[in-house]
Amino acid sequence: MSASSFQALDYLEQLPVQTHRKLYEQPSTVLAIFRCMLPHLAKSIVMALLYMPAPFPAADLDAWFRTDSTQTKRGAMFILEKLHITVQKQDDARTLSYELYPSFASSLRQALEGSGSHRSFGVPSHKSEDKRVSVEFLDSYSQRQWENILFYLVGGTVGFRNAGGQDIGTGTKNLLQMAGFFHHGMITREGFTFVLRDTNAQVWSLLVAYLRNAPQLSMSETDILNFLFMLGSLELGQDYSTATLSATQLQMLEDLAEFGIIYRSHKAASTFYPTRLAVTLTSDAGALSQGAGSATGGGSTQKGFIIIETNYRLYAYTNSLLQIAILSLFTHMRTRFPNLVTGKITRRSIGRAISYGITSAQIIEYLDTHAHPQMQKTKPFLPPTVMDQIRLWEYERERMETTQGYLMREFPSEMMYKEYVQYAKDNGVLVWQNDKLRMFFVDSFEVVMAKVKRDKERTQARTMR
Amino acid sequence: MVKAVPGVLVKCDPSIKALILNLDKEFGNQYVIEDLGDEEHLLVKNDRIQELKRRVQEEISKRIETKLDEEE
Repeated sequence: MSASSFQALDYLEQLPVQTHRKLYEQPSTVLAIFRCMLPHLAKSIVMALLYMPAPFPAADLDAWFRTDSTQTKRGAMFILEKLHITVQKQDDARTLSYELYPSFASSLRQALEGSGSHRSFGVPSHKSEDKRVSVEFLDSYSQRQWENILFYLVGGTVGFRNAGGQDIGTGTKNLLQMAGFFHHGMITREGFTFVLRDTNAQVWSLLVAYLRNAPQLSMSETDILNFLFMLGSLELGQDYSTATLSATQLQMLEDLAEFGIIYRSHKAASTFYPTRLAVTLTSDAGALSQGAGSATGGGSTQKGFIIIETNYRLYAYTNSLLQIAILSLFTHMRTRFPNLVTGKITRRSIGRAISYGITSAQIIEYLDTHAHPQMQKTKPFLPPTVMDQIRLWEYERERMETTQGYLMREFPSEMMYKEYVQYAKDNGVLVWQNDKLRMFFVDSFEVVMAKVKRDKERTQARTMR
Repeated sequence: MVKAVPGVLVKCDPSIKALILNLDKEFGNQYVIEDLGDEEHLLVKNDRIQELKRRVQEEISKRIETKLDEEE
């Protein structure tokens, strides 16, 4: 599972049951969730339960796992329950058993067997071959659109807006603002993280922002998600009919075309083409970087073009305005030649980057991933003195490490405290603990709350008996 | 019963912690919810953390303002 699907999973997890139920009616959605959102162990469990005629006793499930892997199993079951894919059942003899949510199971079966007449995998249009748009065209189109968005974010901050690509639409601008990538004409920390991610992860984080914004535009979240998951299963270079789309989805077409996720020949076209950004939505394959072999758009996604010397001078072999803009966020740029820019990393230039909310780790990671092949001959790629100095310059300004979350306190007994700390640790939400004061800090409240609730129900059940 | 207090956990050097506690006292307990026992942790109000960060930064630069910037 890639980092990008984690964001989508996070978003999916916090949706209410009703939305999940509606989503699971679409075979394409169910298949996409199964394919790229679930950890491998959860997939195995789903597969095992898929064709099981009766609920599967929890005790039998436990028997499949070695005792030392219970934690992994618990993690997988936790995700399945959170997404309401599995349902817990209790029969008269009080034995616990699991079952797949019926519509999830039937949709997944349909998707796997290709049965039913659901049309949820898109309807190809029957246009003659010669009118079709080529894959190369789609690639360069999507790359251009996407880089425009990135350039808007970065270019505005370093002050060369509109030097290169055309402006982006107001809708997209608002969306970037709403997503917290852009604030008062400045890129934010989230924005910088966004720019530095691989393309697939970028697309998902923008789409998640789009989803969060959907209710305000009176668009249905379920329709959007269904459409996105459907896009993931379409074929590149094929055009699809818009006839089966809902009102929300038709509205989406326009926005997605602007992101470069789909292509339409004109605004009222009865067909659309998914681009590489769309078809890689639900797969782990990198979107634009892998496609770069055939892509033509300025060649800015090329790898390895930065050289840094121990005297903090930086040379970057690039002519892409986007890359130059990113570099000038944290470098004092000096000269620009047709295929090369030079500059120097200084205390002030790093300080400025830090004040935008960019971290030293992000800068180092960026320099590291784009280090020139010549630099990659040594290990580590970057001169250690430069890396250390960048970190020290940050440390000079950022002396506090902050985590938002909840402090849990006033546990009535040592035993209960220990149990909860262990639980928080197992689920990976524990940030800090102090055994003496019986307090600990978690960065996600829901996980702990789920346990509090479960324990409460258990004690209630016990007293009622 | 168990209580959950929302806030921001701040991890910093003892010196910065002392600085924060000082600032907090100076501004009438506007920032800190609780001093968490050890030398490096504090719980700060969610809506005040940005302001506190700015104040701490101001204090630090007031104290160690070095004029040896190397920019040419």
